[in-house]
Amino acid sequence: MKREIPMIITFVSGMAIIIALFVPHPPFGRVEETFNNWYIIISGFTMILGLNSLLGHNLDKVKRKAEGWPYSLTLILSFFITLIWGIVSTIRTGHIFASTSTFRNYYYTYVFVPLQSTMFALLAFFIASAAYRAFRARTVNATLLLVTASIIMLTQVPKGETVMAPVLGVAALLAVWKLMSEFESAASWTAGLPYLLLSIAIVAVYLPIVEVLRTQTTAVNDWIMNVLQMGAKRGIWLGIALGGIAMGLRIIFGIEKSYLT
Amino acid sequence: MKFFEKLAKIDRRIIFVILAITIISPFLFNLTFKLTPLEESKRAFNFINSLPEGSTVIISIDYDASSMPELQPMLEAVLRHIFSRNLRVILLGHWAAGVPLGQQALEKIASEYGKVYGEDFVVLGYRPGLQAVIINMGKNIHATFDNVDYEGTPLSKLPMMSNIKTYEDVACVFGFEAGNVGEMWIQFANARYGVKVLLGCTGVVAPDLFQYRQSGQLVAIVSGLRGAADYERLAKHEAFASYGMTAQTFAHVLIVAFIIIGNIGYIFTQSKKRRSS
Amino acid sequence: MGLFPFIFALIVGLTGPRNVKVLDKPNDDGSAVIIEWDSASVTPAVKMISIYKIPEEMWGHGSIKVVDLLSRNTFRYVDTQVKPGKRYYYYVRFWGEGDYIDSKIVGPVVPKAEWFHKERLPMLVVLLIYGGLLAYFLKRIRKGEEVYIRPIAGLQAIDDAVGRSTEMGQPVLFILGLGYINDIATLAALSILQRVAKKTAEYESELIVPCFDPVVMTAAQEMVRSGCFEAGRPDLYNQKKVFFLTNDQFGYAAGVDGIMMRERPGAIFLMGLFFAESLILAETGHSVGAIQISGTTSITQLPFFIAATDYTLIGEEMYAASAYLSKDLHQLSTIKAEDMMKGIILATITIGVVLETILTLLGKPIPNYIKQFLEGGLWK
Repeated sequence: MKREIPMIITFVSGMAIIIALFVPHPPFGRVEETFNNWYIIISGFTMILGLNSLLGHNLDKVKRKAEGWPYSLTLILSFFITLIWGIVSTIRTGHIFASTSTFRNYYYTYVFVPLQSTMFALLAFFIASAAYRAFRARTVNATLLLVTASIIMLTQVPKGETVMAPVLGVAALLAVWKLMSEFESAASWTAGLPYLLLSIAIVAVYLPIVEVLRTQTTAVNDWIMNVLQMGAKRGIWLGIALGGIAMGLRIIFGIEKSYLT
Repeated sequence: MKFFEKLAKIDRRIIFVILAITIISPFLFNLTFKLTPLEESKRAFNFINSLPEGSTVIISIDYDASSMPELQPMLEAVLRHIFSRNLRVILLGHWAAGVPLGQQALEKIASEYGKVYGEDFVVLGYRPGLQAVIINMGKNIHATFDNVDYEGTPLSKLPMMSNIKTYEDVACVFGFEAGNVGEMWIQFANARYGVKVLLGCTGVVAPDLFQYRQSGQLVAIVSGLRGAADYERLAKHEAFASYGMTAQTFAHVLIVAFIIIGNIGYIFTQSKKRRSS
Repeated sequence: MGLFPFIFALIVGLTGPRNVKVLDKPNDDGSAVIIEWDSASVTPAVKMISIYKIPEEMWGHGSIKVVDLLSRNTFRYVDTQVKPGKRYYYYVRFWGEGDYIDSKIVGPVVPKAEWFHKERLPMLVVLLIYGGLLAYFLKRIRKGEEVYIRPIAGLQAIDDAVGRSTEMGQPVLFILGLGYINDIATLAALSILQRVAKKTAEYESELIVPCFDPVVMTAAQEMVRSGCFEAGRPDLYNQKKVFFLTNDQFGYAAGVDGIMMRERPGAIFLMGLFFAESLILAETGHSVGAIQISGTTSITQLPFFIAATDYTLIGEEMYAASAYLSKDLHQLSTIKAEDMMKGIILATITIGVVLETILTLLGKPIPNYIKQFLEGGLWK
């Protein structure tokens, strides 16, 4: 029974939502809205569960003097300082963010805002290190990704088109170098021929491509973003949508039971 | 060829330090580029510039501290322009934790121009409900905010608000967006009530908004730090965004340079490996 | 309407609303009526608009003002304060400077609750085809047919990652992202969590699960518990290791990064919905030398995961995970149906592109009924 009842609830509510999609007539029309309201109410109460878990977990660490317990202590103190300061400020000024509220003028401005911005700002550093590590010309596909990403990055900044020629020049040189080393180590002359031809092609198209990129920077950027990028994205979306429907149906019909334990 | 191996495996801490220096230096030496403002930024500037004195602009703060470096300088540049033109401001927001950022910018710029609360600007603050708030404002702005400003002062006591009842009485909505609230302004305020909407947004959000610009539902998009720098330049008051833009440009070029260096190292070590094998 | 305002209105050039129409809002539960008027009749003299309703039982006893004042740019209003099956009459009033003109009374309109949302017929057709395919493959599997699913590297690597982490004596970290329990990606992530919990219990390794949402946390605790049970080691389940961190995006990222730096996990799983914090998590994970397996349906974050983690489950691969891992034939049959459906959609797109290209080359427009069927307009 412990398994059957949740399965019945899932089936009934899942079917009700599907029916509501096609039948606007009462009592179906408002089913989704009603379910959403229930969810909001329930999830509001679960915040208490979350707090209990957070404070319990960290209090326990402090009590046991477990490794890193000062961090837990910091967390507990920060939690109560924020809570009490917020309440006191609200009582004294009528609004937590009133212009005379000390919560706003000290805590929000000098603690909350810098902390939040700092975390987000870390992204710049991580993008740099991840790009450096990941954008390697390991395969043909990776090389294409590398070149496209460089073009997009340079079209986004002022005067980017002026450095386009040297950047692509270095990229072309590297590509030719790699292809020639492939050609050199190829088993026979005929097996190496494609590498040689490709190198010649790269040298031949370098100047026209740089010229197009320099003069048509925005158009190239738009084309990459609107055609190449959107096409790939839509393909993935299609898969995600179908996978989502399949997963939903699996859950509703009780084929997938892993969420019931 | 130990050198190339090192190039292929630069310690990330070295990358971090070089990037940090690159980003900080434009601020230390006040370096700026001579930017040619984008057409979009010019449209926004010209639109605000064309409003008759005394018109009211609704400013919506739909971001929080994480997007502050991009949007706060933009907000300040726009506010400077608005107050220099003797326009009025109603500030509200749909991101509860971000509205105080807007308030702080507004108070700062208003004091620069000697503007008075209640006469030249009003802060309505945050109300939960997003779409419902935007729709209800089209019927009655006072009632939507329970007839009080963010501190509980009755709107009837603020002289500026006596003539402002619906979107009909404001010149435009200028939203500052880090998420999808901008689309709500377009879909509900513009589509239903015909109010003109301008959006300033982070660079990441901009691609999602261009379709509305193409369909004419948006007056203009000021996008990312570049847009903010453009606006500062147009308003002839270069500040944080202009230096930030220089930093961003350097950072982009630096990342591309790192990618190239990494590849030089990779390709040379690979070919060496192959030779030795 | 009094005589004075009428004469006054004539002098200042205020004209009344023309072509006022009322209609029952289609495809709804009978709780709305649409009132429309000619946009050309809104002259500059019109300052505001208000709408009046006369329910049948009040006929001859006055009217109800529906909205206080609408701005002059409005040409359409939806009244949602009506009951299905009752009769209503409406009129529209244009306000000038203190004067007004009313339209003729229009109606009656009877809001009707409908049994089928006609615009959604194409959706129903697709759903039925999909459902049919599901049933068909389920039947074939019941007959004992074998199913082949291509290997998914990210899922195959789960056992190795947990194994390696155990060898190094380091814990396993499972990050469920910022999704809520009603996001399918989170449900998929939970079923992967169960598998990971089973493995860590088998290897007697430690598993840490910091959560963003308390409801997800509760579900995650159940998942880890059942994983331990399945491995026959219920004693290894520690509820305190599956805990709530915070409901703030970057607060969560900071907290998880802190856990990575202190605990130095040997394997990190990033599964579920992620936003701007994805790379902050993945790069920190890489810096502590962990094997990282990620999976998400947030397309914008996929490039970051592909760049920074060792294995990435792209979109639907995540949804296939529980079927793939459990090797349950019924579940696998749904993946077969999904592939078939994808084939049908791709074929439809290809036919559409070819047809449109041919028709454009011939200089002929696309037949309207095809467009209308796809947009649902044929059934309005």
